[in-house]
Amino acid sequence: MSYTVDRRGLLRTAGAGAAALGLGGALASCGSDESETVTLTWWDYFTLDNFQPGMNRLIRDVEAGVPNVRIQRRTFPFAELDRQITLGAISGERPDIAIVDNVAMNTLGGSDLLADLTGRVEAWGQADQYYKGPWDSCRIGEKILGIPNNSNCLALYYNTRMLESAGVEPPTTWDELASAAERLTSGDRFGLALSAIKSEEGVFQFLPFLWQAGGDLDTFATDGATALSFLHDLIAKGSLSESCVGWTQQDVNTRFMNQRAALQINGPWQIPTLKQADFDWGVVALPRDQEAATCLGGENWVLMAQSENLDKAWEVLEYTQRPSVLVPYLVSFGNLPAREDLADRGAWASDPALRLFLSQLPLARPRQYGRGYADASQAISEAEQAVLTGSASPSAAARTAATKIDKALSGR
Amino acid sequence: MTFLALFLAYPLFYNLRTSVHDVRLSQLLGGSWQFNGLDNYRAVLDDPAFWHSVRLSVVFTLGSLVFQFSIGFALALLFARPFPLGGLLRSLLLVAWLLPPVVSGTLFRWLLDAESGAYNALLEAVGLGSLSHDWLTDPSTSLAGVVFANIWVGVPFNMLLLLVGLHTIDPQLYEAAAIDGAGPWQRFRRITLPLMRPVSVTVLLLGLIYTFKVFDTVFVMTGGGPVDSTRVLSLYVYEVFFRFFRFGQGAAAGLLLLVVPLLAGVFYVRRLRREETTGGAT
Repeated sequence: MSYTVDRRGLLRTAGAGAAALGLGGALASCGSDESETVTLTWWDYFTLDNFQPGMNRLIRDVEAGVPNVRIQRRTFPFAELDRQITLGAISGERPDIAIVDNVAMNTLGGSDLLADLTGRVEAWGQADQYYKGPWDSCRIGEKILGIPNNSNCLALYYNTRMLESAGVEPPTTWDELASAAERLTSGDRFGLALSAIKSEEGVFQFLPFLWQAGGDLDTFATDGATALSFLHDLIAKGSLSESCVGWTQQDVNTRFMNQRAALQINGPWQIPTLKQADFDWGVVALPRDQEAATCLGGENWVLMAQSENLDKAWEVLEYTQRPSVLVPYLVSFGNLPAREDLADRGAWASDPALRLFLSQLPLARPRQYGRGYADASQAISEAEQAVLTGSASPSAAARTAATKIDKALSGR
Repeated sequence: MTFLALFLAYPLFYNLRTSVHDVRLSQLLGGSWQFNGLDNYRAVLDDPAFWHSVRLSVVFTLGSLVFQFSIGFALALLFARPFPLGGLLRSLLLVAWLLPPVVSGTLFRWLLDAESGAYNALLEAVGLGSLSHDWLTDPSTSLAGVVFANIWVGVPFNMLLLLVGLHTIDPQLYEAAAIDGAGPWQRFRRITLPLMRPVSVTVLLLGLIYTFKVFDTVFVMTGGGPVDSTRVLSLYVYEVFFRFFRFGQGAAAGLLLLVVPLLAGVFYVRRLRREETTGGAT
């Protein structure tokens, strides 16, 4: 036990885990049977300080619970992880286990980089415990290439006092959203804030509008135009800032925290920050149009096909799915479970904001469009940016994007 | 020689090899690269987005060079004559050049922000509030915004080199000219400008080589957006590589990106050699 404490101290001082964990592994191998201990490399992008205690605890749990395993963890910046995994295909340096953004399954899924877990998952028999969206995000064609790590989705945050003083109820439909946003706009305060930045983040926030309009990527020319003109009207009326084409979701939350936006579209990962706000706020489901819809975010665990320790790595994944391991991990991250059977277990069972997000998970859709998704995503964000900056009309932009999307998804 | 072979020739060769193969994410493993001749180059040259980014790169580079150079020259002239605190000010200006582009890019992203940015606040403070603008999120001004930041980054470098150049001019020339009755403007035109020509060409060439491939400043400030208004050539190459994972095409585009700096480099080296043989007089 004293060794664990030592290592924790080391971890704390070292910050980035890799070196310290390597040392920890060396220390450990002195004590236990050296020949049987397997060291697995583990890559993820959870670099923020507030994630480290939870991650260290998870790894400690794994090392204590799975026989003869040591985890050597390495972290990368968010945008760097996919690239490193990809480059690993050339350089040969790749992890055994990685936690990747679920949207990365589109690109990584078709590449033979990820291990096929289908047989193992069938033998394990717990696939039906997961929400459909998160589980589908691990399924590429007929194969299961990962298991969900955590899930999140988007919802609408509101500033309680602002809504009360404007006499507005939290909106539930597009019409209500438009009129609420208009009435909540005053001075340098915008009614609504959302991210339309030219990256996957912006697309993540846009897709719900497309789906709510009743469409999908294959009907972008028409339903895309509907969604785009709804957002365009918000800007035309001044309810939404044109600057949103440059805002990340973090920027959006900052606006909301500074009370310069009465409503914001954002995810549950903002809750810890929002709890420090000195005003009351609430969350409701995203307003619906033809359909209710929200976009699935979160991460999946994947194993690398070239790993020499697939059996051990799978054993680790299976172990992490025990409620006694998974629940504390998710709680410490402020994340939601991808498993339905945990719905009444963690912080999300009592916290009203988290519960709202959890209630949206069953209808959260994964961005599961296959290999051409990166091109499609780029076409979507360019169309949105063109419309919101006034350089193209919604219908023209949607038509241009639809052509590109069709080409991308038909797998040229 | 070994150094060159290892760190220059091999990567270049590898890149060249990649650029004539069909290499996408799915082909990376197994090593079954399909030779496809010039297909990647054709795909890049057929892509309107490529030509758009070439145009943006040209505007970005020319805009940056003109202002970097003229402001740098003006500052060099200012700092060439001693005045109190001149040395301190000069070193302060150098800080801009020492800052990593990621830092200066982030800084300018904040400064140019529509709502909380200092520049708009400044405009309002001096009664020009009507000019305040959302510089980086309006496609018609975003390129100007990133050029502005890049000028700021480049001015100290230009100033420093030009200042060294000014110090090499023999002060007796100015004295003689003054005795002959030449005014300040004439002295500048007849002595400073011609004698500064070799240095100026060097500064501009180095600036061209450096500016044409600038990546970080733009990436941090706008990520190429809004729409594609700041997607300069280096960002285009990055996207092909790491957003779409089309490595063959990326390698081809990367080599095309090299053309301009390479030409400038060859020109620069030939100039250097000529100067050496003719003893520096041009």
